Amino acid sequence: MLTLSNVTKHYKMGDSVVRALDGISLTIDEGDFTAIVGPSGSGKSTLMNIIGCLDIVTDGEYVLNQIPIKKYEEDELAEIRNKQIGFVFQQFNLLPSFSALENVMMPMTYARVPKKQREKIAAEILTKVGLGDRMDHKPTELSGGQQQRVSIARALANNPAIILADEPTGALDQKTGKEVLDLLTQLNKQGKTVIVITHDVGVAAYASRILTIRDGKIVDDSRKEADHV
Amino acid sequence: MFKEYFSIAWRSVVAHKIRALLTTLGVVIGVSSVILLLSLGNSAKAEAANQIRAIGSNLIIVRVTDRNGVLPTIWLDELKDSGKLAAYSEIISGNTSYVVNGQNFDVSVSGVNQDYGFVSSLELTSGRFLSQIDLDNNLPVVVIGPKVAEKLFPLTDAVGETMVIQGVQFRVIGILTERGTNFNGDLDATAYIPIDFAGTLFPYRLNSKTYYLASETEDTVATSMRKIESYLTSVLPSANEFNVFSQSQILGVMNTLMGLLTTLLAGIASISLIVGGIGIMNIMLVTVRERTREIGVRKALGAKRSQILIQFLIEAVIITTLGGLIGLGVSYVGAAIIQYLSDFKVTVGLDSVFLSLIFSITIGVVFGIYPANKASQLEPVDALRYE
Ligand SMILES: Nc1ncnc2c1ncn2[C@@H]1O[C@H](COP(=O)(O)OP(=O)(O)OP(=O)(O)O)[C@@H](O)[C@H]1O
Ligand SMILES: [Mg+2]
Repeated sequence: MLTLSNVTKHYKMGDSVVRALDGISLTIDEGDFTAIVGPSGSGKSTLMNIIGCLDIVTDGEYVLNQIPIKKYEEDELAEIRNKQIGFVFQQFNLLPSFSALENVMMPMTYARVPKKQREKIAAEILTKVGLGDRMDHKPTELSGGQQQRVSIARALANNPAIILADEPTGALDQKTGKEVLDLLTQLNKQGKTVIVITHDVGVAAYASRILTIRDGKIVDDSRKEADHV
Repeated sequence: MFKEYFSIAWRSVVAHKIRALLTTLGVVIGVSSVILLLSLGNSAKAEAANQIRAIGSNLIIVRVTDRNGVLPTIWLDELKDSGKLAAYSEIISGNTSYVVNGQNFDVSVSGVNQDYGFVSSLELTSGRFLSQIDLDNNLPVVVIGPKVAEKLFPLTDAVGETMVIQGVQFRVIGILTERGTNFNGDLDATAYIPIDFAGTLFPYRLNSKTYYLASETEDTVATSMRKIESYLTSVLPSANEFNVFSQSQILGVMNTLMGLLTTLLAGIASISLIVGGIGIMNIMLVTVRERTREIGVRKALGAKRSQILIQFLIEAVIITTLGGLIGLGVSYVGAAIIQYLSDFKVTVGLDSVFLSLIFSITIGVVFGIYPANKASQLEPVDALRYE
């Protein structure tokens, strides 16, 4: 599905260089549920930005679905993000003046899906995540957990192969956090490749593979059967 | 796809109605003042064109200074056929003054012949114009403008009454229709008497002669003028001693001057459009900054640079177009108010509608492009991190 080979990401800060990622090599297969854990500042979000094609590597190679990402222009990256990746953010990042339905329709607008079809698909996905009766609500009229479910619905809009979630439960309490994780697990069972970034070991426990990074390097890579209840 | 951009942009504008309205105030003021000034200018031009038509577009005026008395009295008769002249009249003018209700009332008195009424397209509300008989017998009769009738004979029908001009009693035989004011002064405070009388009443004018001529049609005016000029050049010792000009020439010059003035004023008013545009740019920059995160989200979810650019550009254009439309409405109201207060007919034409739309859309594009481009250039990672 995706492969990183010796990827580095450096940020120049005046005279010094921050090595946010320092020689990362990894392969994630289709259908994996991977958690990326590590302490604050270890490079988790940087890695997610690279995987999500929001940013490009300083050095090394990143290949997503046989597409080498390095040489792509911003507009081409936008199209890849639009079609291949569904983002779930810690702060939900829903557009406040648009309804749940309209928020879910947005990625399809950029994919030039006709309006009628967009509405139909968005309504279906929202129903699937349990918000069939909240479609016309604005984000401020929804609870945190509901907002995160809207953003998961939005991530699913263009039926991408990969769901990329950065601290998806970071802004939620334990119970709603669990609901969101259950939803991600369910999506994984339906064939989505899910990558979750978290500090929380409890969250990581949902994954079948846990990658631990520290100072921009992978320090542990453990696989297990997801046997939580 | 354009519909999508439009609806996204429209939503953002609606979400900040008051701000959009305040932002576009500059455009409202700019558009309405430009449109009003242009409409005023056009109305003034139309008014001038009306005057041409009223006075006659085939009217030619000849002024001759004949110090040596070399000009034959019948010179114009000789030119009548070759110069394609329909009619002509010499005119000798002077002023006389009356006191009405303790106030001075000036009347311009002109000595003319029986053809003057035709040459100047005069019409009468009652009575008749000077006739051949009046002229041949040098009868003391007068045709007066409506103001003269109103001031001197407020209670009775003026026709048949007697009025005194420079100590001579004249019988009123006709009253002219209202013609308003032009560069010659108040056309309604006039009196026309047989030319020979005028010659004796205003003798100081004898050396310089003025003629009003009607060319056969509007198209023969140039021929007539050329003919007269070449005749006068051959007879008079110096070309400085005469000038020949047509009514439409004078009004043409006036028109040009008025057009220039209008353009100048509209130009000054359009500065406010630029100020309005800068206001739009300013608020769009603020909007882009405020919505950095939204831009980041849109980009993360697949918006291309051009799509972000168009979204914000359309937003700017929507705001300025609203301003343009409101401005157009304001200029309609303004025109109605001016018309009500001044009796001067001001029409905001269909061209003004297009003009205001073109103005406001152009302002939106010109001043919206920089902020929109700024939005489109944001890096998605940085934009997403923005608080
Ligand atoms: N745009 C940037 N410019 C400079 N340095 C950066 C930038 N982005 C990240 N860094 C640095 O790179 C390192 C990794 O940052 P990153 O955000 O990936 O950490 P993280 O693991 O996501 O941390 P957290 O758990 O707190 O979110 C940090 O030292 C950070 O300061
Ligand atoms: Mg992070």
